[in-house]
This record gives sequence, structure tokens and C-alpha cells, in this order.
Amino acid sequence: MRNRIISLVVGTVMVMALCVMTAAAFTKTVTIKVEGMKCAKCSSSVSKALKATEGVEDATVSSDKGEAVIKYDDQKTNETKLREVINSTGFKAVAEPGQ
Amino acid sequence: MKKRSLLRLVLTAVLITFSYASVWGQQIKAPDFELRDVNGRTVRLSDYQGKVVLINFWATWCPPCRAEMPDLVRLQREHRQKGLQIIGITYPPEQKDRVRRFARSLKVNYPIILGTRQLKARFSSDETLPLTIVIDRDGKVSNIIVGILLREEFDEKIKPLLMKNAEGGIRSAKSNH
Repeated sequence: MRNRIISLVVGTVMVMALCVMTAAAFTKTVTIKVEGMKCAKCSSSVSKALKATEGVEDATVSSDKGEAVIKYDDQKTNETKLREVINSTGFKAVAEPGQ
Repeated sequence: MKKRSLLRLVLTAVLITFSYASVWGQQIKAPDFELRDVNGRTVRLSDYQGKVVLINFWATWCPPCRAEMPDLVRLQREHRQKGLQIIGITYPPEQKDRVRRFARSLKVNYPIILGTRQLKARFSSDETLPLTIVIDRDGKVSNIIVGILLREEFDEKIKPLLMKNAEGGIRSAKSNH
């Protein structure tokens, strides 16, 4: 009986760990430089548009640093799509070298 | 003694309820204005009673404002018959010629007014641009959209208002055309 309980607990922990690892494997964080965010009061549109995008888990946009830090599920969206979303708000996502 | 305390408590509760209701009532009624647009035509908010009005505060130097304007032009064209009326108000104040040139270049199909700080303050103290005030067919502010107007927001917050008559009735297919 005791062994069964131990096996059950160990099994549950392993399944949970696997789930967390799988979720973490899908979650990526990217920092994208954004050009033109000179007015703090209009840059909030960038984070609003990003957060409304499917697959985006969090987005922090800084007009001071001129960048957006985005946490996203790479099974649902990708960096190219995120750059398109930024560009659709009137600002310009700066392309990384090689893109 | 107990009865008096109870009565006092009830009266206080009623008073608080009424004062909150009165403040709420003042907040939701959109303030009227009468101004000339960049083409010299008079625009009164009260002239659009019975329509769903979007007051879009924007600036020529604001990238998201410029990015959403083609969408606003499209929405005005597609939903005009259903009773949508967009009014663009520049904020902070800008030069008339610059605004008129900009509006012409985008073929803006709704009135554009040169705003003032006082006018903006009557609607919202939020300094974010763009900022869109959503007014229902009864002339009440039903929503304030901060930042660029997303398609999902239009579907969720504005489309249902277009489906309703003034006083909250559902518009029939006939009244939609």
C-alpha cells in the first residue's frame, strides 16, 4: 500500500514536471528594437496590440529604451508576426542583422 | 432610540445611493460642443443624436494615430448606413493647414476638428493618443478606448451599439439599411 502511494506521488510529480518543461519549451522571450517611439503617450498602442496577439503571454514596451520585450508561445506565433504587429501600430520594428 | 439609529442609517444609505447615481449620471452623458471643422463646416455633437459616435482624439505627429486612420476611414464607409459617425479631433492643438493637408492625403471621410485642451478635458483626462470616446445612440459615453482601436475592440464594444436602436431596442434588418 505504502509503495503504491509513493509510486503515485512520484508519477504525479513527474507528469507535472513534464508539463512545466513542455510549457517552458514553447515559451520564448524576445527583445525587439522599435524605432520612432518618441512620445510616451502614444507608445502604449504597441503593448496593447502585442498583448492582443494570439500567443503573446506578456509584452513590456519602453519608449525610453526604444524596445519591446515580448514573452510568447512559439507554437502560436513567431518573431516575424510580432514585428508585423509592431509595424501595424505606426512604429518600426528594427530588423536584426541577417533578417 | 434603536428606531432612531436605524432610521438615520437608512436615510444615510439612501442619500449616498442618490449622490452616487447623480455623479454617475453626469459622467455618462457626453458633453455637447459646437465647433467648425477644418473645412469651415459647423459640427455639433447633438446633431448626431441617434447615431453611434466615435470621437477620435489624434495628432498628425502620433504614429499610431496615423496608422489607425485608414481603418477609421474604412469603418466610416462600411458602417455609415448603420448609423456610425466618426469625428476626429486633433489634440493637442495643431495648425489648420497641416491638419487639412494630412486629412486630404488620407481621404478622410468624416469631420476633423481642431481641438483645444479644454475640449479634450471635458471627455477624458487620459493623455494617451489616440483616444476614442464611444457614444451610444442615446448620447451617453459607453466606452473610452485608450490607444489604437483594435478590430476585436470594434467588434466587442462598438458593433453591439450599432445593432441597437436608441432606448436599447434591437435594430431590425430593415432599419439597418
